[in-house]
Amino acid sequence: MSEEPQTSDTELLHAIARGDELALAALYDRYSSILLGLILRILHNRPEAEDVLQEMFLQVWRRAADFDEARGRGFTWLVTLARSRAIDRLRAVASRERAATAAMHESHGDVSDASDDVLRSEQAEIVRRALDGIPEEQRRALVLAYYEGLTQSEIAERLKQPLGTVKTRMRSGMIKLRELLGEQMRSVRIGS
Amino acid sequence: MKHEEYKELLEVAALDALDAAERRALEAHLVECATCPAEADAWREVAAALALPIMPVKPTAAMRERLLEAIRTQSPPVRAIAAPGAQTNGEHAAAQTSNVVSLDSRRERRGVLISKPLLTFGSIAASVAIAALAVTLALLWSQNKALQTQLARASDSLRQNEQEIGSLRADRELLAAPDARTVALAGTKDATTAQARLTYDQRTGRAMLVAANLPPVPAGKAYQLWFIAGGKPLPGGLFRPDANGRAELRGTVPTAGRRADTFAVTLEPQDGVPAPTGSMYLLSAAS
Repeated sequence: MSEEPQTSDTELLHAIARGDELALAALYDRYSSILLGLILRILHNRPEAEDVLQEMFLQVWRRAADFDEARGRGFTWLVTLARSRAIDRLRAVASRERAATAAMHESHGDVSDASDDVLRSEQAEIVRRALDGIPEEQRRALVLAYYEGLTQSEIAERLKQPLGTVKTRMRSGMIKLRELLGEQMRSVRIGS
Repeated sequence: MKHEEYKELLEVAALDALDAAERRALEAHLVECATCPAEADAWREVAAALALPIMPVKPTAAMRERLLEAIRTQSPPVRAIAAPGAQTNGEHAAAQTSNVVSLDSRRERRGVLISKPLLTFGSIAASVAIAALAVTLALLWSQNKALQTQLARASDSLRQNEQEIGSLRADRELLAAPDARTVALAGTKDATTAQARLTYDQRTGRAMLVAANLPPVPAGKAYQLWFIAGGKPLPGGLFRPDANGRAELRGTVPTAGRRADTFAVTLEPQDGVPAPTGSMYLLSAAS
């Protein structure tokens, strides 16, 4: 279970909280690519995304002591920080500019490409399969929220659906996602 | 809103997709609810899985350098303030359940649904620790402010003392100078009780005038000292007495004035005049 040679995320975060620069560098090397991908996905602007990534790791450096392993995984903590900063940045951008970006992105068919991205790991494959198992209209709402940083009202507007419908779809989608992830995990565990 | 309604916001909150008003309402509820925070954390775990299928984008090497450079110049991280109860109980609770969404095999024992009483105890312990910390910080802050004020006051008064000592030393040196000359000035008919003493160093010209019982000066006016040599008055310094009629003037007597035989003080416009125009208030006996 713990045969992997690398230091766990939790251990790295504890070391960072003690002021260990090498631990920060190690955590950065482990996750900066996936986090930059995530931030870029929301902001659609490379310089801004790099800026947010930098701010975010500075925050990790200052606030690593806030990480509480009893509340969740280190990866979740990092992703939450990254998204929160990216979304703050996104919502600070003028709505005009934002609408233009969103419209441009929609023309690429934003709904399905979350699951079309090249998969780098078994875990990514698990999530992709889980996403595929979610009914289309629920997945669409989740994808717009998670990968585009839209609020539920904005999603309702985008999909031209009543807000109540969107809320229900998002909740159902999340519940389904949790269920499918759990199943996938079990099957992987049995298989390994 | 009721607890159940808040609970239904947690899935969407984990996607950061609540509209501002609902988000704020939920944040307020999370502070006081015993069960929602743990559920919110669990939904965050689910949502974070969605980051995994994203195409990674490798940052440039320069970015890495910039970051590491930045943390070297930054102050060290904020230290954890231990809330031992919270941490231990959280660990314990997490190990009890196995309703797991963990994608990391090392962490699969982590529970999603954390047992309520333990969590509540942990939360309370943490809140108490945080409150204690806040009070400590507030105390330290106010002590620090008070010390800063005291220090500023002390350094002001030190500066004042230094100035006083400096001027006293100058006075003492003047009085002790081998070439010092002291002249007494007496009040005229306009200021019968007034008197003054002028001491000056005949070599350097450094001078000090101390006067007492001078009448108050009207606005726009000042007393001016004169050095009279061979019947010709040379202008000296200007001064105004305090409420008790006392005045001190320190300055330098010009070379020509050091040979004066008579010294006088007149009332003049406050900026002084080249030759006396007003009434005389003090006059030395001719030597």
